[in-house]
Amino acid sequence: MALPPSLRLSVTPPELELIACEQLIEIIPLVAMERTAFISGAFGPLRPPAKCKVPIWMATNLKLKKKCHIVPPDWLNVDFLQDRLTHETSQPEFSQLPFRFAEVAKVLLDVASDDFENPERLRSLLKDIQEARQAKSREGLSKIDHSELSLPNLCSMEINEIRPVFIKAMGVLSQLVREPEGRLPT
Amino acid sequence: MDEDYYDVDAILAENQKVQCTFKVTVPEMGHLDGGNERDIKPLSKVNIPMWMAYILIYSDYADFNIPPPFSSRVRNALNAEPKSVKLCNLVGQGGVWYAFGVMIMKLLNDAPANDMSEILVKTFRSRLPEVIDQAQHFASITTATAGAGSADPSGAFREGLDGTERELFTLAQVAVQTTKKWYNHSEVPGK
Repeated sequence: MALPPSLRLSVTPPELELIACEQLIEIIPLVAMERTAFISGAFGPLRPPAKCKVPIWMATNLKLKKKCHIVPPDWLNVDFLQDRLTHETSQPEFSQLPFRFAEVAKVLLDVASDDFENPERLRSLLKDIQEARQAKSREGLSKIDHSELSLPNLCSMEINEIRPVFIKAMGVLSQLVREPEGRLPT
Repeated sequence: MDEDYYDVDAILAENQKVQCTFKVTVPEMGHLDGGNERDIKPLSKVNIPMWMAYILIYSDYADFNIPPPFSSRVRNALNAEPKSVKLCNLVGQGGVWYAFGVMIMKLLNDAPANDMSEILVKTFRSRLPEVIDQAQHFASITTATAGAGSADPSGAFREGLDGTERELFTLAQVAVQTTKKWYNHSEVPGK
Protein backbone atom coordinates (compact mmCIF):
# COMPACT_ATOMS: atom_id res chain seq x y z
CA MET A 1 0.00 0.00 0.00
CA ALA A 2 1.53 3.33 -0.95
CA LEU A 3 1.59 6.03 1.69
CA PRO A 4 1.23 9.71 0.84
CA PRO A 5 4.56 11.53 1.19
CA SER A 6 3.56 13.35 4.37
CA LEU A 7 3.05 10.04 6.19
CA ARG A 8 6.23 8.40 4.97
CA LEU A 9 8.54 10.43 7.13
CA SER A 10 7.65 9.00 10.50
CA VAL A 11 4.85 7.79 12.72
CA THR A 12 2.18 10.43 13.33
CA PRO A 13 1.40 11.60 16.88
CA PRO A 14 -2.22 10.35 16.80
CA GLU A 15 -0.88 6.90 15.92
CA LEU A 16 1.45 7.03 18.91
CA GLU A 17 -1.46 8.08 21.07
CA LEU A 18 -3.40 5.04 19.91
CA ILE A 19 -0.54 2.73 20.78
CA ALA A 20 -0.11 4.37 24.17
CA CYS A 21 -3.79 3.91 24.95
CA GLU A 22 -3.39 0.15 25.08
CA GLN A 23 -1.76 0.55 28.45
CA LEU A 24 -3.81 -0.40 31.50
CA ILE A 25 -4.99 2.16 34.00
CA GLU A 26 -7.03 1.97 37.17
CA ILE A 27 -10.55 3.30 37.27
CA ILE A 28 -13.39 3.54 39.76
CA PRO A 29 -16.43 2.49 37.74
CA LEU A 30 -19.84 4.00 38.33
CA VAL A 31 -21.75 1.37 36.39
CA ALA A 32 -21.64 -2.38 36.49
CA MET A 33 -20.41 -4.51 33.61
CA GLU A 34 -19.80 -8.19 33.19
CA ARG A 35 -16.45 -9.58 32.13
CA THR A 36 -16.50 -8.72 28.42
CA ALA A 37 -14.26 -9.89 25.63
CA PHE A 38 -12.73 -7.18 23.44
CA ILE A 39 -10.36 -7.57 20.53
CA SER A 40 -7.31 -6.84 22.67
CA GLY A 41 -8.41 -8.97 25.60
CA ALA A 42 -11.10 -9.57 28.20
CA PHE A 43 -11.68 -6.88 30.82
CA GLY A 44 -13.96 -6.45 33.76
CA PRO A 45 -16.12 -7.26 35.57
CA LEU A 46 -16.83 -3.72 36.69
CA ARG A 47 -18.37 -3.73 40.16
CA PRO A 48 -18.69 -0.25 41.60
CA PRO A 49 -17.19 1.06 43.76
CA ALA A 50 -14.29 -1.41 43.51
CA LYS A 51 -11.30 -0.34 41.45
CA CYS A 52 -10.52 -2.14 38.21
CA LYS A 53 -7.77 -2.08 35.61
CA VAL A 54 -8.82 -1.36 32.05
CA PRO A 55 -7.05 -0.01 28.95
CA ILE A 56 -6.86 3.77 28.63
CA TRP A 57 -9.06 3.83 25.53
CA MET A 58 -11.84 2.19 27.51
CA ALA A 59 -11.29 4.47 30.48
CA THR A 60 -11.49 7.54 28.23
CA ASN A 61 -14.67 6.27 26.66
CA LEU A 62 -16.35 5.57 29.99
CA LYS A 63 -15.20 8.88 31.41
CA LEU A 64 -16.64 10.85 28.51
CA LYS A 65 -19.95 9.16 29.17
CA LYS A 66 -19.53 9.95 32.88
CA LYS A 67 -19.48 6.29 33.84
CA CYS A 68 -16.22 6.16 35.77
CA HIS A 69 -13.55 8.09 37.63
CA ILE A 70 -9.92 7.71 36.66
CA VAL A 71 -7.21 7.00 39.23
CA PRO A 72 -4.05 8.86 38.22
CA PRO A 73 -1.04 6.60 37.54
CA ASP A 74 1.64 6.82 40.21
CA TRP A 75 3.98 8.95 38.13
CA LEU A 76 1.41 11.59 37.29
CA ASN A 77 1.49 13.72 40.40
CA VAL A 78 3.13 16.97 41.42
CA ASP A 79 5.90 15.52 43.63
CA PHE A 80 7.17 12.99 41.14
CA LEU A 81 7.16 15.43 38.24
CA GLN A 82 8.76 18.19 40.31
CA ASP A 83 11.53 15.82 41.28
CA ARG A 84 12.08 14.87 37.65
CA LEU A 85 12.14 18.50 36.62
CA THR A 86 14.93 19.31 39.07
CA HIS A 87 16.76 16.29 37.78
CA GLU A 88 16.41 17.50 34.19
CA THR A 89 17.62 20.98 34.91
CA SER A 90 20.54 19.91 37.06
CA GLN A 91 22.02 17.05 35.07
CA PRO A 92 23.10 16.72 31.46
CA GLU A 93 21.55 13.29 30.90
CA PHE A 94 17.87 12.65 30.36
CA SER A 95 15.99 11.58 33.44
CA GLN A 96 13.99 8.39 33.64
CA LEU A 97 10.37 8.87 32.60
CA PRO A 98 7.74 6.37 31.51
CA PHE A 99 8.26 5.73 27.83
CA ARG A 100 4.91 7.08 26.67
CA PHE A 101 4.42 9.72 29.34
CA ALA A 102 3.61 12.50 26.89
CA GLU A 103 0.74 10.68 25.23
CA VAL A 104 -0.75 9.24 28.44
CA ALA A 105 -0.48 12.57 30.25
CA LYS A 106 -2.08 14.46 27.40
CA VAL A 107 -5.04 12.09 27.13
CA LEU A 108 -5.67 11.86 30.86
CA LEU A 109 -5.34 15.57 31.56
CA ASP A 110 -7.60 16.26 28.63
CA VAL A 111 -10.41 13.92 29.53
CA ALA A 112 -10.20 13.64 33.30
CA SER A 113 -8.76 16.84 34.64
CA ASP A 114 -11.28 16.79 37.46
CA ASP A 115 -9.79 13.55 38.78
CA PHE A 116 -6.43 15.20 39.45
CA GLU A 117 -5.82 17.38 42.42
CA ASN A 118 -3.85 20.08 40.60
CA PRO A 119 -4.19 19.80 36.79
CA GLU A 120 -2.82 23.24 35.92
CA ARG A 121 0.34 22.67 37.90
CA LEU A 122 0.74 19.24 36.33
CA ARG A 123 0.39 20.74 32.87
CA SER A 124 2.97 23.39 33.51
CA LEU A 125 5.39 20.89 35.06
CA LEU A 126 5.02 18.60 32.09
CA LYS A 127 5.63 21.47 29.72
CA ASP A 128 8.78 22.49 31.57
CA ILE A 129 10.10 18.95 31.54
CA GLN A 130 9.46 18.65 27.84
CA GLU A 131 11.21 21.90 27.08
CA ALA A 132 14.23 20.99 29.17
CA ARG A 133 14.55 17.68 27.37
CA GLN A 134 14.13 19.32 24.00
CA ALA A 135 16.96 21.70 24.78
CA LYS A 136 19.17 18.75 25.67
CA SER A 137 18.37 16.92 22.48
CA ARG A 138 19.27 20.06 20.51
CA GLU A 139 22.65 20.07 22.22
CA GLY A 140 23.11 16.42 21.37
CA LEU A 141 22.45 17.32 17.77
CA SER A 142 25.58 19.41 17.58
CA LYS A 143 27.71 16.48 18.69
CA ILE A 144 26.23 14.25 16.03
CA ASP A 145 28.46 11.62 14.54
CA HIS A 146 28.11 9.85 11.23
CA SER A 147 28.26 6.35 12.60
CA GLU A 148 26.22 6.10 15.75
CA LEU A 149 24.08 8.01 18.15
CA SER A 150 23.02 7.06 21.64
CA LEU A 151 20.42 9.04 23.60
CA PRO A 152 19.33 7.01 26.61
CA ASN A 153 16.01 7.65 28.31
CA LEU A 154 14.39 9.48 25.45
CA CYS A 155 10.63 9.05 25.24
CA SER A 156 8.42 7.99 22.38
CA MET A 157 7.07 11.42 21.34
CA GLU A 158 10.51 12.99 21.47
CA ILE A 159 12.06 10.22 19.41
CA ASN A 160 9.31 10.64 16.88
CA GLU A 161 9.91 14.36 16.54
CA ILE A 162 13.61 14.20 15.97
CA ARG A 163 13.75 10.97 13.96
CA PRO A 164 13.49 12.38 10.40
CA VAL A 165 15.97 15.17 11.10
CA PHE A 166 18.55 12.96 12.74
CA ILE A 167 18.37 10.32 10.05
CA LYS A 168 18.80 12.86 7.27
CA ALA A 169 21.60 14.69 9.06
CA MET A 170 23.47 11.48 9.72
CA GLY A 171 23.03 10.47 6.10
CA VAL A 172 24.51 13.72 4.89
CA LEU A 173 27.38 13.42 7.35
CA SER A 174 28.16 9.89 6.26
CA GLN A 175 28.49 11.17 2.71
CA LEU A 176 30.72 14.03 3.75
CA VAL A 177 33.09 12.00 5.87
CA ARG A 178 35.73 10.40 3.79
CA GLU A 179 36.74 6.87 4.67
CA PRO A 180 40.52 6.63 5.00
CA GLU A 181 40.72 3.25 3.29
CA GLY A 182 39.32 4.56 0.05
CA ARG A 183 35.86 4.36 -1.40
CA LEU A 184 33.32 2.07 0.17
CA PRO A 185 31.14 0.05 -2.14
CA THR A 186 27.58 1.04 -1.36
CA MET B 1 29.43 8.03 -8.87
CA ASP B 2 27.28 5.01 -9.68
CA GLU B 3 25.17 5.18 -6.57
CA ASP B 4 24.03 8.70 -7.43
CA TYR B 5 23.12 7.93 -11.00
CA TYR B 6 19.38 8.27 -10.61
CA ASP B 7 19.39 10.78 -7.81
CA VAL B 8 17.94 14.09 -8.99
CA ASP B 9 19.89 16.10 -6.44
CA ALA B 10 23.14 14.57 -7.60
CA ILE B 11 22.32 15.35 -11.21
CA LEU B 12 21.64 18.98 -10.39
CA ALA B 13 24.81 19.25 -8.34
CA GLU B 14 26.82 17.83 -11.23
CA ASN B 15 25.82 20.72 -13.40
CA GLN B 16 28.33 23.04 -11.77
CA LYS B 17 31.24 24.09 -13.90
CA VAL B 18 34.84 23.62 -12.94
CA GLN B 19 37.88 24.98 -14.58
CA CYS B 20 40.07 22.35 -16.20
CA THR B 21 43.36 22.50 -17.96
CA PHE B 22 43.50 20.26 -20.97
CA LYS B 23 46.59 18.20 -21.51
CA VAL B 24 46.03 17.07 -25.06
CA THR B 25 44.77 18.66 -28.21
CA VAL B 26 41.13 18.05 -28.95
CA PRO B 27 40.34 18.87 -32.55
CA GLU B 28 37.17 20.75 -33.48
CA MET B 29 35.96 21.14 -29.91
CA GLY B 30 36.92 24.75 -29.43
CA HIS B 31 33.25 25.84 -29.44
CA LEU B 32 32.63 24.24 -26.04
CA ASP B 33 34.14 27.14 -24.26
CA GLY B 34 32.33 29.70 -26.35
CA GLY B 35 35.66 30.74 -27.82
CA ASN B 36 36.32 31.20 -31.45
CA GLU B 37 39.14 28.70 -31.76
CA ARG B 38 38.71 25.57 -33.72
CA ASP B 39 40.72 23.19 -31.51
CA ILE B 40 41.43 22.94 -27.82
CA LYS B 41 45.14 23.27 -27.32
CA PRO B 42 47.02 21.68 -24.42
CA LEU B 43 47.38 23.85 -21.35
CA SER B 44 44.30 25.85 -22.24
CA LYS B 45 41.82 26.47 -19.44
CA VAL B 46 38.22 25.54 -20.18
CA ASN B 47 35.12 25.71 -17.98
CA ILE B 48 33.28 22.42 -18.22
CA PRO B 49 30.51 20.87 -16.14
CA MET B 50 31.34 18.28 -13.52
CA TRP B 51 29.80 15.31 -15.27
CA MET B 52 32.15 15.83 -18.20
CA ALA B 53 35.11 16.75 -16.05
CA TYR B 54 34.90 13.47 -14.17
CA ILE B 55 35.50 11.33 -17.26
CA LEU B 56 38.12 13.62 -18.69
CA ILE B 57 40.16 13.55 -15.52
CA TYR B 58 39.90 9.81 -15.17
CA SER B 59 41.02 9.31 -18.73
CA ASP B 60 43.79 11.71 -17.98
CA TYR B 61 42.93 14.22 -20.69
CA ALA B 62 42.75 17.15 -18.27
CA ASP B 63 43.69 18.38 -14.86
CA PHE B 64 41.62 20.57 -12.65
CA ASN B 65 42.06 23.09 -9.88
CA ILE B 66 39.96 23.48 -6.78
CA PRO B 67 36.98 25.50 -7.97
CA PRO B 68 36.02 28.89 -6.44
CA PRO B 69 33.33 27.64 -4.04
CA PHE B 70 36.12 25.96 -2.12
CA SER B 71 38.90 28.46 -2.50
CA SER B 72 41.10 29.46 0.40
CA ARG B 73 39.11 32.66 0.82
CA VAL B 74 35.95 30.65 1.40
CA ARG B 75 37.80 28.29 3.69
CA ASN B 76 39.07 31.13 5.84
CA ALA B 77 35.59 32.59 6.13
CA LEU B 78 34.25 29.20 7.17
CA ASN B 79 36.97 28.75 9.74
CA ALA B 80 36.14 32.11 11.24
CA GLU B 81 32.35 31.85 11.42
CA PRO B 82 30.59 29.04 9.56
CA LYS B 83 27.14 30.39 10.21
CA SER B 84 27.73 33.65 8.45
CA VAL B 85 28.75 32.28 5.08
CA LYS B 86 25.99 32.19 2.50
CA LEU B 87 26.47 28.74 1.06
CA CYS B 88 23.81 28.95 -1.58
CA ASN B 89 25.37 31.99 -3.24
CA LEU B 90 28.64 30.18 -3.77
CA VAL B 91 27.28 27.68 -6.25
CA GLY B 92 24.78 29.47 -8.42
CA GLN B 93 21.03 29.37 -8.04
CA GLY B 94 19.48 26.42 -6.23
CA GLY B 95 22.95 25.68 -5.00
CA VAL B 96 23.96 22.45 -3.34
CA TRP B 97 27.36 23.25 -1.92
CA TYR B 98 27.70 20.05 0.07
CA ALA B 99 26.88 17.75 -2.84
CA PHE B 100 29.31 19.63 -5.05
CA GLY B 101 31.97 19.26 -2.37
CA VAL B 102 31.36 15.53 -2.17
CA MET B 103 31.90 15.22 -5.88
CA ILE B 104 35.12 17.18 -5.85
CA MET B 105 36.28 15.07 -2.95
CA LYS B 106 35.82 11.90 -4.95
CA LEU B 107 38.08 13.24 -7.65
CA LEU B 108 40.95 14.25 -5.43
CA ASN B 109 43.74 12.14 -4.00
CA ASP B 110 44.11 11.35 -0.33
CA ALA B 111 45.63 14.43 1.26
CA PRO B 112 43.52 17.21 -0.29
CA ALA B 113 40.46 15.02 -0.09
CA ASN B 114 40.84 14.61 3.64
CA ASP B 115 41.12 18.37 3.92
CA MET B 116 37.93 18.82 1.91
CA SER B 117 36.14 16.25 4.01
CA GLU B 118 37.19 18.01 7.18
CA ILE B 119 35.95 21.37 5.98
CA LEU B 120 32.63 19.95 4.83
CA VAL B 121 32.05 18.08 8.07
CA LYS B 122 33.07 20.96 10.27
CA THR B 123 30.85 23.43 8.43
CA PHE B 124 27.89 21.09 8.44
CA ARG B 125 28.21 20.35 12.12
CA SER B 126 28.40 23.96 13.18
CA ARG B 127 25.52 25.11 10.99
CA LEU B 128 23.20 22.25 11.87
CA PRO B 129 22.12 23.38 15.37
CA GLU B 130 21.29 26.82 14.02
CA VAL B 131 19.20 25.32 11.21
CA ILE B 132 17.23 23.17 13.62
CA ASP B 133 16.79 26.00 16.12
CA GLN B 134 15.28 28.21 13.49
CA ALA B 135 13.09 25.42 12.19
CA GLN B 136 11.64 24.85 15.63
CA HIS B 137 11.12 28.55 16.13
CA PHE B 138 9.33 28.86 12.83
CA ALA B 139 7.10 25.91 13.51
CA SER B 140 4.80 28.19 15.41
CA ILE B 141 4.60 30.84 12.72
CA THR B 142 2.49 29.83 9.75
CA THR B 143 3.87 29.96 6.26
CA ALA B 144 2.02 33.18 5.50
CA THR B 145 4.24 35.35 7.63
CA ALA B 146 7.45 33.41 7.17
CA GLY B 147 8.64 35.69 4.41
CA ALA B 148 11.22 38.42 4.77
CA GLY B 149 9.82 40.04 7.88
CA SER B 150 11.75 38.50 10.74
CA ALA B 151 14.82 39.66 12.63
CA ASP B 152 17.75 40.42 10.39
CA PRO B 153 20.50 37.96 11.34
CA SER B 154 18.23 34.92 11.35
CA GLY B 155 16.59 35.97 8.11
CA ALA B 156 19.96 36.41 6.50
CA PHE B 157 21.07 32.99 7.72
CA ARG B 158 17.96 31.41 6.27
CA GLU B 159 18.60 32.97 2.89
CA GLY B 160 22.12 31.61 2.85
CA LEU B 161 21.07 28.03 3.43
CA ASP B 162 22.31 25.40 1.06
CA GLY B 163 19.88 22.96 -0.60
CA THR B 164 20.56 20.11 1.80
CA GLU B 165 20.15 22.42 4.77
CA ARG B 166 16.83 23.62 3.41
CA GLU B 167 15.59 20.05 3.32
CA LEU B 168 16.61 19.53 6.93
CA PHE B 169 14.89 22.77 7.88
CA THR B 170 11.63 21.63 6.28
CA LEU B 171 11.82 18.20 7.91
CA ALA B 172 12.31 19.67 11.36
CA GLN B 173 9.62 22.28 10.88
CA VAL B 174 7.04 19.74 9.73
CA ALA B 175 7.83 17.39 12.60
CA VAL B 176 7.41 20.10 15.21
CA GLN B 177 4.23 21.42 13.63
CA THR B 178 2.60 17.98 13.57
CA THR B 179 3.42 17.35 17.20
CA LYS B 180 2.17 20.75 18.27
CA LYS B 181 -1.08 20.28 16.39
CA TRP B 182 -1.65 16.93 18.07
CA TYR B 183 -0.88 18.37 21.44
CA ASN B 184 -3.44 21.10 21.13
CA HIS B 185 -6.13 18.83 19.80
CA SER B 186 -8.68 17.81 22.38
CA GLU B 187 -11.00 14.83 22.56
CA VAL B 188 -13.55 16.52 24.77
CA PRO B 189 -16.26 18.20 22.72
CA GLY B 190 -16.61 21.90 23.29
CA LYS B 191 -13.19 22.33 24.93
